[in-house]
Amino acid sequence: MADAPKASTPDNRRRTGDAADDRQSAAVRHAIRSELAVDAPADDARTAKQSSEQSVVELQHVSLAFDVPIIEDISFVTCEGETMAIVGESGTGKSTILKLVLRLLVPDRGCVLIDGEDITPLSFEEALVVRQKMGMVFQGSALFDSMSVFENVAYPLREHTEMNEDEIAQRVREKLQFVDLEADRVMEQLPSELSGGMKKRVGIARGMANNPRIMLYDEPTSGLDPLTTGTIMRLIMKLQRELGVTSLVVSHDIRAVFRMASKVALLQDRRITFLGTPEEMAASEDRYIQDFLGGFSS
Amino acid sequence: MAVSGTGLALSGLDCRTRYDHPYTRLSALLTRLNDAAKSKVLTLQEYFVLAGKSLRFIFARPFYGQDAVQQMDEIGVKSLGIVILTGLFTGMVLALQSSVQLKTFGASIYIGNLVSASMIRELGPVLAGLMVAGRVGSGIAAQLGSMRVTEQIDALNTLGTDPIKKLVTPRLIAALVMLPVLTIINDFVGIIGGNIIASLVLGLPSAMYWRTVWVQIANDGFALRFFPNDFIQGLTKPVVFGGLIAVTACYFGLGTTGGTEGVGQSTTRTVVTSSILILIVDYFITQVLLSVLTYG
Repeated sequence: MADAPKASTPDNRRRTGDAADDRQSAAVRHAIRSELAVDAPADDARTAKQSSEQSVVELQHVSLAFDVPIIEDISFVTCEGETMAIVGESGTGKSTILKLVLRLLVPDRGCVLIDGEDITPLSFEEALVVRQKMGMVFQGSALFDSMSVFENVAYPLREHTEMNEDEIAQRVREKLQFVDLEADRVMEQLPSELSGGMKKRVGIARGMANNPRIMLYDEPTSGLDPLTTGTIMRLIMKLQRELGVTSLVVSHDIRAVFRMASKVALLQDRRITFLGTPEEMAASEDRYIQDFLGGFSS
Repeated sequence: MAVSGTGLALSGLDCRTRYDHPYTRLSALLTRLNDAAKSKVLTLQEYFVLAGKSLRFIFARPFYGQDAVQQMDEIGVKSLGIVILTGLFTGMVLALQSSVQLKTFGASIYIGNLVSASMIRELGPVLAGLMVAGRVGSGIAAQLGSMRVTEQIDALNTLGTDPIKKLVTPRLIAALVMLPVLTIINDFVGIIGGNIIASLVLGLPSAMYWRTVWVQIANDGFALRFFPNDFIQGLTKPVVFGGLIAVTACYFGLGTTGGTEGVGQSTTRTVVTSSILILIVDYFITQVLLSVLTYG
């Protein structure tokens, strides 16, 4: 499945050509390998979950263009319990892939399979049903600002379940506690009264309220301080470890990705040019990958 | 999508340097016109699809009754002040201006007829519509526009909710119900405004004024021997205007792109488009109703 790393472009070579950059890249790769080595619990979780091979999210030769091509011939498989990360520069179509998985967008060519079912020919109403299998955490949290935290987390429960008010309150409390928030303190607050990290956590609680089997994260750690980034990362790993959720993470935070992902796809020039484990990515000799990994630390 | 795609390709075509031939230039111009026309038709199609869907969802589960009631408060109750002020001063100025003309003919006694006919048939619905378009239409467009740019609309979709059902239909129901209510209040306050001026300026007794108001309504005839023709005109219009305002505001709000600047543009477009639509549609409704209803 893994595509061969693409040859470096002249532009890449220009950017990474000198010896100083090579030394820096080597140092960064060493740092990343150390990161992989010390992160034993996450590593265990990754390998433990790799045993199951049932495809949950699969893209087959997907292409999409608006006025200009956005992504071309994207293929990958995410199996049950895996955490797949999609990385790449800004504007390479990473978030578009999430929208395709959610069927907010329909590909021009290729198909998107959820649990083996092709969702591209589904009607709008049928797609709404498929989306209930998935929980999405948006880059800006996208909490409904006219509703309290409680109402936000309770929203999918009110929409799609027959739960009574007591059961809903219990579930909301449970989910808020799962994301390390004091339920009593935050429940009645409005999203505008929360910090960025808290909003993100409420976003995760809302995404997982309905106990979905698939979680999608769009830049879950962007704009957060290192401590909050760590908290969010631990949450994502906890979800995967404790509940066996299949996750798709779009990010350009390489350090976070290397800690939580079992598989990494690198998007470059609208295509996937690398697909493999974080270890394989760190060991890659490809110039662009070295540059990409090096870029984050400089 | 295809339309704008062609437009983009066209802009990259440098006719003057490489294809400086009258036929090529004409062809490019025609293609551009074709694209512009297609884009307008597409806009119109999207508008009617939104209107059709939101109307259909009034009768489809799940019902968001609480949202509709909340919107009735936003659209109706909170617009009361502005509508009362508009109605009062319109009725007063109408009576004041007419009093000068009517005095010339010694027909001051007919001031009630003039004010009631003008308010109920035309000014009440149109002014209430314009006021609501300005106050509520802009608010809806700004709210939905902000929800679009902060990904809240996408969040609704991903949570398995149809944004049209959740956001557009409750606003449409609220506007369809509340605009006629606001219009009735506007008409009534306007006629009271006329009464004030008739008493103060012309010294006409209130009883006489209200009698001429009723005579005017009765003279304009009844539909099915019961419902005054003036009321049919005066209540058909606000229902249509309510629908126009809600759908236009939601259309521009949901179609917002380009961040906060886009929200501002959607708001402006909503107010301008719905105001113009109200005035144009008003003419056509009047034309149709005057030919359908039997006056006199």
